[in-house]
Amino acid sequence: MSTVSVPFGYHGMSLRIDVSTGGVERVPLPGTLLRRFIGGSGLGVRLLLDEGTAPLDALDPRAPLIFAFSPLVGSPLTTSAKFAVVSKSPLTDRINDSLASSGFAVQGKACGCDAMVIVGRAAEWSVLVIDDGSVRLEPAADCAGLTCGATDARLRSRLGSDFRIAAIGPGGENGVRFATISHDGRHAGRGGSGAVMGAKRLKAIAVRGTQRPEWADRQQVIAISQDLSHRSFGPATAKYRELGTATNLLTFNRLRALPTRNFQRGHFEDAGNLSVEQLTATRSKTRESCVTCTIGCEHIYGVGSGTVRVEYESLFALGSLCGIGDAEVVLRASQRCDELGIDTISAGGTIAFAMECVERGWLDEPWLAFGDGQALLRAIDLIGVRQGLGNLLAEGSRRAAAAIGHHSMAIAPQVKGLEIPGYEPRALQTMALGFAVGTRGADHNRSGAYEVDFSEKVDRRQVTLDAVRHAIDTEDRAALMDSLIICKFLRGVFEDFHEEAAAMVRSVTGWEVTARELRQTAARIVAAKQQFNRRAGWRPEEDTLPDRVLDTPLPDDPLATLSRERLAALVAEYHRQRGTADPRDVEG
Amino acid sequence: MRVEFLGVSRDRAGVDEIDVEAETLGRLLMTLSARLPRLAELIVVDRISPHDAHAAVRGPRLHSSLAANLNGDRFISDPETPLGERDRVLILSADVGG
Repeated sequence: MSTVSVPFGYHGMSLRIDVSTGGVERVPLPGTLLRRFIGGSGLGVRLLLDEGTAPLDALDPRAPLIFAFSPLVGSPLTTSAKFAVVSKSPLTDRINDSLASSGFAVQGKACGCDAMVIVGRAAEWSVLVIDDGSVRLEPAADCAGLTCGATDARLRSRLGSDFRIAAIGPGGENGVRFATISHDGRHAGRGGSGAVMGAKRLKAIAVRGTQRPEWADRQQVIAISQDLSHRSFGPATAKYRELGTATNLLTFNRLRALPTRNFQRGHFEDAGNLSVEQLTATRSKTRESCVTCTIGCEHIYGVGSGTVRVEYESLFALGSLCGIGDAEVVLRASQRCDELGIDTISAGGTIAFAMECVERGWLDEPWLAFGDGQALLRAIDLIGVRQGLGNLLAEGSRRAAAAIGHHSMAIAPQVKGLEIPGYEPRALQTMALGFAVGTRGADHNRSGAYEVDFSEKVDRRQVTLDAVRHAIDTEDRAALMDSLIICKFLRGVFEDFHEEAAAMVRSVTGWEVTARELRQTAARIVAAKQQFNRRAGWRPEEDTLPDRVLDTPLPDDPLATLSRERLAALVAEYHRQRGTADPRDVEG
Repeated sequence: MRVEFLGVSRDRAGVDEIDVEAETLGRLLMTLSARLPRLAELIVVDRISPHDAHAAVRGPRLHSSLAANLNGDRFISDPETPLGERDRVLILSADVGG
């Protein structure tokens, strides 16, 4: 009988759990597969492809929900305590890979696996308990209807405070197509992985473990970690540490790139009310970090009698996009989304879309108007429980537009069904390309192309085909960071990211990995996502943007015009450079 | 010209904006460095010979965590970039996204 060599940094095994039957398989993961896809998003996408379930509905019990860890998890490398959640998205019907951070990653991997593949549907609301590799389902009917935070607290009280919990809120229970999975107040936020978990009647997953794989070169891991931590205290991360992402708001507004009133404008007159400066002057504020993180990007502000983590994307989606400049309302809306376990970007995008439909007379809900904070809060609550208009909006803007009709699809702020984050595509056209070709739809975490727009490399309002290679580079780098997993807020710290990443992987795994190999790995991971999408029914015409942003100048900035022809040329060039112009190139 | 500070640069400068006279980006940065000591930490002057204080300078330039934008239109970094009286220079975080 031969033994399988397990690489350093890994357990060489996934847990495949069927919550319909309670069956558990321990599936060996070959070293070759791990080296080719590393971990996190890459490993999760590869495992999902291997399940052969791409054509299934995302909420079908047989459709897998995968939690994937990485070789760096458990090491002292700053920001490495992250996990990926991979599934088919119920919002886009395409691939979805969301990330979240902190103790769940460390404890989940310490259960002795590199990934957990969950299929089936429990007989009742349950918590999946993975206790050092021992797997059981426990009833959790008493948690039904609880917020994400309350569920976490109740289960840790019941199971033990050393368990780490990933939970869904009412949004996931009710099948909101943009429901999140929450851990310790952070969310695997985009694409509706919470609805997939809800479809399996899993209210939560609780993990605790003691199994830690060895590293190939412990001394080198510690040396690299210390050096990276030291550099992470410097100016490259000052923005995140001192101000948080919320500081983007005024910058985007100044550059006429802040999506406002459902992408009708790029400048919001009340942005100053939502600025970091104003929030800091008027509210209590604390900072937090994920486990192992030395940056500490989380800026938590007081709102009502509680607190809320404030991020740019939430301020934009629930603020300027809905025409709301009342900070108290915007922070309460963000807090409510967190409690319900729904994505703030998709919630804000879908509500802003509905507000415009009401304004145009396409939707008979006169209470829902731009700038009405109480209407925003009411709409969020209705979405969370799928009542009244909330039942339609819980479907996301693309499905809502299909139901509303008229010309509403033209103004639905989505790509492939995923609502567009806070980057006005006409003003940031390399990002526009990133959105159009993104495998999970319009997304700023899977394409960092906005970095190119905020540089001398392109004219951000009139990009040419030269922008394409830059967009591909940022997409590849994101895929690699999401698979290692290292937080993107570190990106400014690296002088040569691929060389440094290769050194990290070498020290942990012992593989003689080079920067060149990691570049190839990144492209392979993006190709795997594209392959899933093709198997799920992707068509070339999906790689586009809403009609609203094509051919019509941004009213605040007439130079910001993106023609349909130019976008099509950019997309065609992207696929030419990727080698995916012919569908057979990917499927093979 | 008017210089606008956004994000970390505003925090360091301690003001939202100031008026400065400078003919080039390099001269502007030298002026900012002299007038705003906390911001000066993020303005880098590379000397051709690092051990000779009188050696010619290459720069100055903003630290890689910051970027300069001219009139909301284009990003600039060449110290010789000419500036006019009516220009507005934005100093913002290079890492603009979330």
